[in-house]
Amino acid sequence: MSVLYTPVQWNRNKFLYDGVLLAGVVAYILVFLQVAPLFVDATRPVDGAILRMRAFGTCAFLMLTLILCIGPLARLDRRFLPLLYNRRHFGVLTCVVAATHALQVLGWYYAFSPTPRLEALLSANTSFGQVLGFPFEVFGIFALLVLTLMAVTSHDFWLSFLTAPVWKALHLLVYPAYAAVVAHMALGYLQDAKNPAFALLAGGGALTVAGLHLAARRRDRAARGAADWVTVGRPAEIADGRARIVSLGGDERVAVFRYDGRLSAVSNACAHQNGPLGEGRIVDGCITCPWHGFQYRPADGCSPAPFTERIPTYRLKLDGDTVLVHRTANPPGTPVEPLAIP
Amino acid sequence: MAAGVVTVLQIYGMAGLAVAAVFLAWGIDRVDQNARGAFVFRPLLIPGVALLWPLVLWRWGALERGRDPWAGRYRPPRRLQDWLGIGLAAAIPVILFGALLIRQEGPLERPAELLEPPPAAEGEADR
Ligand code: FES
Repeated sequence: MSVLYTPVQWNRNKFLYDGVLLAGVVAYILVFLQVAPLFVDATRPVDGAILRMRAFGTCAFLMLTLILCIGPLARLDRRFLPLLYNRRHFGVLTCVVAATHALQVLGWYYAFSPTPRLEALLSANTSFGQVLGFPFEVFGIFALLVLTLMAVTSHDFWLSFLTAPVWKALHLLVYPAYAAVVAHMALGYLQDAKNPAFALLAGGGALTVAGLHLAARRRDRAARGAADWVTVGRPAEIADGRARIVSLGGDERVAVFRYDGRLSAVSNACAHQNGPLGEGRIVDGCITCPWHGFQYRPADGCSPAPFTERIPTYRLKLDGDTVLVHRTANPPGTPVEPLAIP
Repeated sequence: MAAGVVTVLQIYGMAGLAVAAVFLAWGIDRVDQNARGAFVFRPLLIPGVALLWPLVLWRWGALERGRDPWAGRYRPPRRLQDWLGIGLAAAIPVILFGALLIRQEGPLERPAELLEPPPAAEGEADR
């Protein structure tokens, strides 16, 4: 658990996941290069370089669309959770594909420019005051910058070093970045595309992302009370060795575990990467994170020796046959007497 | 203008590399116990430090001074994510349909005017 950092923690699933991803990207590019020439307007021929540029550009867009769909899908249906766990590799690969697109643009349009290429790109079109003919490149540059930031901060170290709120805020930039990518395409390629196929694909993808987010949010909006003690439910509603996740309002969630006829409450966020502990189970007497298997003792939120991770604990009490949890967290690793189920 | 931007970027990047060298060779051991004795992963962090070095310096300082409120670590901004999701859902149709509206052959374009043919020359009229 509190293992020394390694470059990538490989395991069989990740190899599989990455293999499928990579194969998908290669297949998409190859098919695009074969199929797209059949659809181009014969009066405005495009050459291979432009096709490649579009192949990588659209590929990055579709990948980003998928990435943004995974989150809400996993919230709507737990069967999508495995896709979520390795989303980081997906993100890094998307960044690579997007960067390839950008390099091809630089290499093609500005190949013969007398000024250095980056400079040429920045100064080629500066009509920021108008919508039509707006330098749509800036949207692409912004999105690529965000993807790069996310890719370079994807190692575990960053999450722990920057802390979850900062790291998460940084990675939430993916939302404005996606909007920027949509604008980049809408003001760029779509302005002059004659064939509606890609417009439909892009529109469909973008609207799916929007719809899924709205659906997941509706589903998540449980009533959020403000009292000190928050209702968990009856002990019988929690399966043995499992937990119920309770939202305390705001961003805090508690996982209430039932084991050996007792109940304990800990923060739902794993100390490793904020994995949802409440979706894990008790293994060998320890809460086990479903993401990468970090373990914590339910009664004090500490990882068993020799590991040193700790998570906050919460107090529980019974009111009749209803379990309540106190909304103020105890500092990580504080022992709390488990609540015996009557 | 563009040349200035590029120069600023270059300076920023160099400063970042310098910070990366110091932080990865020395600072990281002081602030993260999981990094002690682990070296292979460090080159992976170079691009990140080079890009985010002001943030790195700020966090490094906070950790050195022991100012790291524990509770904050467990509160990733989920609210914000909700709002961003909604904002995105609202922005996407606006962007897409807006862009289609202003398209050259879109509905907002002035309809093409049919020009009168030039008056036919005498004698050709009954051809
Ligand atoms: S998030 Fe990685 S083990 Fe919990």
